[in-house]
Amino acid sequence: MADFFNTYGHLIISTLFGAMLGLSIYLPLMAGQLSLASPGFYSLGGYIAAILSTQFFPRSEGTYPLHFLGVEVILSAILSGILAIALGILVLRLRGIYLAIATIAFGEIIRILALNLEITGGAVGIFGIPQPFDIPLAYLWIAIPLLILVMFLVYRLEKTNVGLALRAIQVDELAANSMGINSTKYKVLAFTLGAILAGIVGTISAHFLNTWNARQGTFDSSIIYLAFVLIGGSKTFVGPVFGGILLTALPEVLREIGNIRLIIFGILIVLGTIFFPQGFITPNLLKKWRK
Amino acid sequence: MTKHQITPILQLNNITKKFGGLLAVDAVSFTVVQNEIFGLIGPNGAGKTTIFNMLSGLITPDLGQINYLGQDLTKLQSYQIAQRGIARTFQNLRLLGNLSALENVLVPCNVHHKTDFLADFLGLPKAQLAQKKTYSKAKELLDLVGLSDNIKQQANNFSYGDQRRLEIARALALEPKLLLLDEPAAGMNTSEKASLSDLIRQIRDQFNLTIILIEHHIPLVMSLCERIAVLDFGKLISLGEPEQVKNDPLVIEAYLGNE
Amino acid sequence: MDFSLFLQNFLNGLSIGSVYAIFALGYTLVFSILGIINFAHGAIFTLGAYFTYALAGGKFGFNGILANAQLPFQLPFVMALLLSSVLSGLVTVLLERLAFKPLRARNADPLLTLVSSLGAALVIVNLIQYLVGAEIYTFPANIYGNLPEAINFGTATKPINIRTVQIIVFGVSVIIVTCLTYLINYTKVGKALQAIAEDTTTASLLGINSERLIMITFFISGFLAGISGTLVSSSVSIAGPYFGISFGLKGLAVIVLGGLGNIPGAIGGGLLIGLAEAFVPSDYSGYKDAISFGLLFIMLLVRPQGLFGKKLIQKV
Repeated sequence: MADFFNTYGHLIISTLFGAMLGLSIYLPLMAGQLSLASPGFYSLGGYIAAILSTQFFPRSEGTYPLHFLGVEVILSAILSGILAIALGILVLRLRGIYLAIATIAFGEIIRILALNLEITGGAVGIFGIPQPFDIPLAYLWIAIPLLILVMFLVYRLEKTNVGLALRAIQVDELAANSMGINSTKYKVLAFTLGAILAGIVGTISAHFLNTWNARQGTFDSSIIYLAFVLIGGSKTFVGPVFGGILLTALPEVLREIGNIRLIIFGILIVLGTIFFPQGFITPNLLKKWRK
Repeated sequence: MTKHQITPILQLNNITKKFGGLLAVDAVSFTVVQNEIFGLIGPNGAGKTTIFNMLSGLITPDLGQINYLGQDLTKLQSYQIAQRGIARTFQNLRLLGNLSALENVLVPCNVHHKTDFLADFLGLPKAQLAQKKTYSKAKELLDLVGLSDNIKQQANNFSYGDQRRLEIARALALEPKLLLLDEPAAGMNTSEKASLSDLIRQIRDQFNLTIILIEHHIPLVMSLCERIAVLDFGKLISLGEPEQVKNDPLVIEAYLGNE
Repeated sequence: MDFSLFLQNFLNGLSIGSVYAIFALGYTLVFSILGIINFAHGAIFTLGAYFTYALAGGKFGFNGILANAQLPFQLPFVMALLLSSVLSGLVTVLLERLAFKPLRARNADPLLTLVSSLGAALVIVNLIQYLVGAEIYTFPANIYGNLPEAINFGTATKPINIRTVQIIVFGVSVIIVTCLTYLINYTKVGKALQAIAEDTTTASLLGINSERLIMITFFISGFLAGISGTLVSSSVSIAGPYFGISFGLKGLAVIVLGGLGNIPGAIGGGLLIGLAEAFVPSDYSGYKDAISFGLLFIMLLVRPQGLFGKKLIQKV
């Protein structure tokens, strides 16, 4: 058991982060909004952690105090939230692919800023982000409860009137509006929740990875997160969790086969979209399991 | 006629809408008074649905005002108009197809029964109670339009006529003062049409509604509506009680053409 | 800014802008026919550059399983360029068959095509890396013949030097755009393509074989990607397997700026972004890439149908 965790601990933690990033795309999708802004907020959250912990908070001997990490998480959530509301009001008037492209542009602008600003360490990035734990495996104590909490929150959200309004907008925004639903408000809400989640995951990831740079949260990762949702299944929140875990683990599991692993990964993504157009996990499948 | 002539609920004043070069609605003015069933008829492309779309805020008129109980609707967005008590159905049905019939009705119910989000989120007893209330209200409305079975079925599994009735139930869930019905009888057979007429009268009386109705089936309009406006190529060509309109030479020409 | 610097920037901008334009044309053609964005377009761009490098007799480096490999023959550069573009077109057709057609046949959600095309891009990029490694390859200086390094458009006292490569790049792009415009407006195939772009159902009623035309579209698209990959790398170098990805994103900015699916829009958008980038002061060159995305972002907010697009009307 201990061996297993030593070998795969890093991977397990990464997959849990992947699951949450999948959910961060899933949240706006609940209101039918294809946003690819998650990598931008993920990157932002990471920089907040990296900058605060290396430049602002006092360095001490031993492990990095957890309450500092808590402050970072809260700050990331607030900043991501504010930025997402402002961005959301601007871009959520766009539909379909146009929204996706606008959010890609947002991510690219964040990336280019990060590459050029001094505070983000330019192209090199920020190194030596302090560790709150003695062993990396201890990140499980954050990742597991956080994922369970997020899943529970999304599950409950779907059961509320707000969740119903989001579904109404997803099916037919115009009809939802004419039933008295302020769709802009709900779309911004769903978008903002996704952004906050991505920001928080970025913050914790920055510590976990020990280093942060502009290669975190690039454009291709946005499509990979989208793949988490679509291949996992976009009709239930279990889908993105499953997809995030599967597709984060896959390249690592394939490591054994060496250099061609990313080629195989690409092929599997193509095959996944062709043979599982509804994703692996569908609401019907979940019903079957319950019986 | 009765007292309702006295209080107008809706006044269209010089409403105009252009699509490209086409004048879809051309300086149309009329007044709808409280509690009446008002018919809007005219050949295809006369601009009837365009007027509905402007009344419900889906499009904005280029010119003119729409006064509804002292407010100018042209400045409001569609959800605000819906919240202020104007509900509508759609000519080409816009049900939330993969939601259940019950959920379709619950969506607008929730607009008026605001629950505390946190209580709702945590599933507190208070929220559960509120939810039970809205559920029973939604079920009542479904009963009213004759859809008490299969209310947990997806809306797009319903027959065409049932979907039209479901749209009416959904519109009623908004607790409207003014109800806009866009071709409610389309695709219904004769007996369904008859019971639809009864239903429309019944809901008008029961909920104290004002109803504007677009309909192609002329006998239905003539028997049901108290006043009728006739549009042709975006212009209002006749307005009055059914007998009056029926004998208006302009209306006859519009319907028969200059053959 | 003095005039000669202005002119120099302007000509540079035209040169790079014209490559953006032909790259984006391939992108927008596929969108106009199928309404999908092919994220593998940037990978084909890369592939085209490597094809040309190999066909022109270039030798591969130390990494990858093709280390130190070299083709037994060496084509003149122009031949290599053409053949490589044809090969790129064929690979794109293959891609269409393998990654897009099955989805189309199943009437799948268009979002899946985005993911599938990214999967395809991953395959191509990593295949290149697997075969020839990630190092930078540079074309020899004399690929376009023994021309001077730069041409002076100014006077001896006030030189305005423009690199010869860039003039050639611009010339080739103009030729390509002209040919394509002719193809689309004056040939049967082009008219059929326009019909499909307007409306697939009507087109099939007219007896237009859309499957064959989709293949032609992907071929042209791949051809354009391949040729632009070669042109860019002949002016700078092949910066590794991933160098098409960022170019692909810029192409996306170009086609949205001009109007998705709009052919004159892609050309106008390409030139606009090329010129805008050329005038970024060198102190801020790090922000050069932000221009296209900034413009794209503003355009989406102000006029989502793009510079040349028709107004999008939502049907009620």
